[in-house]
Amino acid sequence: MNTEGKPGRGSWYLLTGLLIGLTLGLLIAWVIAPVTYVDTAPVSLRSDFKDLYRSLIASAYLATGDLGRAQSRLSLLGDVDSVHVLSLQAQNTYASGDINGTANALSKLADALKQLPQVILTPSSLPPLMESSTLPVLAASGVVTLTPNNRVTFSPTLMVTPTPRPTRTPTATIGAAFALISQENVCDGNLVVGLIQIDVRDASSQPLPGIEIVITWQTGEEHIFTGLKPELGDGYADFVMNPNMEYSIQLASGSQVINNLHIPTCQTDGSEGYPGGIRLVFQQP
Amino acid sequence: MSRWIKFFVVIILGLAVGLVYGWVINPVEYTNTAPDTLRADYRSDYVLMVAEVFHADQNIELAARRLALLGSEPPAQIASRAMEYALGVNYPTSDLNLLQKLTTSLQAWQPMPEGNLP
Repeated sequence: MNTEGKPGRGSWYLLTGLLIGLTLGLLIAWVIAPVTYVDTAPVSLRSDFKDLYRSLIASAYLATGDLGRAQSRLSLLGDVDSVHVLSLQAQNTYASGDINGTANALSKLADALKQLPQVILTPSSLPPLMESSTLPVLAASGVVTLTPNNRVTFSPTLMVTPTPRPTRTPTATIGAAFALISQENVCDGNLVVGLIQIDVRDASSQPLPGIEIVITWQTGEEHIFTGLKPELGDGYADFVMNPNMEYSIQLASGSQVINNLHIPTCQTDGSEGYPGGIRLVFQQP
Repeated sequence: MSRWIKFFVVIILGLAVGLVYGWVINPVEYTNTAPDTLRADYRSDYVLMVAEVFHADQNIELAARRLALLGSEPPAQIASRAMEYALGVNYPTSDLNLLQKLTTSLQAWQPMPEGNLP
């Protein structure tokens, strides 16, 4: 309202101008001349491209045996826990058929990294980077840190965390067949009915991931792998049986065939039977 | 100051605020990028990895397929550019040799047309 009591047009035109200017500014910044995607770093790659990059790093490691270089390259991807990511990708690659044969390289690189002290990086382990680029900095936790200008940086200092002796990574001994060391019915009402739980271990009772298990029944066959549910153990795999069906199980890398597996009936005192599951444990001798 | 002048002053002010917001405060983010946007040094290291694997498995088709991620140029040209970069920043001789072998092999390689595939 103005002093004469009429509704005033006041400063609305200023607000209109501001909004027009703001709109133009955002149009230029986001549409006409947005920040362009050039000169990016591997850390910004889309996750599927990161997987390809990681596979290539592993394959190059398998070809050259240069672990320092592989480690430096992995640090560029910004994975918080490279070993875990490599193991997971190896398991997923195994499970999806491993068309390019990179699962082996991924798991070997993960194994090699597990056996090292946490972080060992030298700036010379990678070929020279651009002069303008700073070199990657790894914190003690092994996390890549970024500088404010979004460039991966790299400390020239050799850093070794005071970790205990590296633990040996369990791997299946080539040629040694697995033996069934335990088979028991599981009567647990909280579990899925007809669940077969399989544990695969090496000779020193360590769980083995990535082991292929072949399950067959009268009308079909399925291949499963250990380690796809890491929260239940690296050597764990499971499968749900159908009622009135008999199954056979064998490890693809060699084991006796376990036949006549079917949903067992569990009994509790004074009650009717209920369907349970089976737990099998395989171990290398 | 006339209304028109004030009007254009606030337009410019709004433009400035929009640009600051779009370029500085909330710019387009560098996420989910593709390998063809990698900086030259990372691209060269990627090509070097391909060269290292190629040296071991001699699988030129797989090498070409991997290099195709770096752009639509012919793989030999991608390798050649990486070689130029590597020479410029003094890669170790062993790496230069690997890149040279890959480049030479790709230049001699004739990709099989899709129609001729079994």
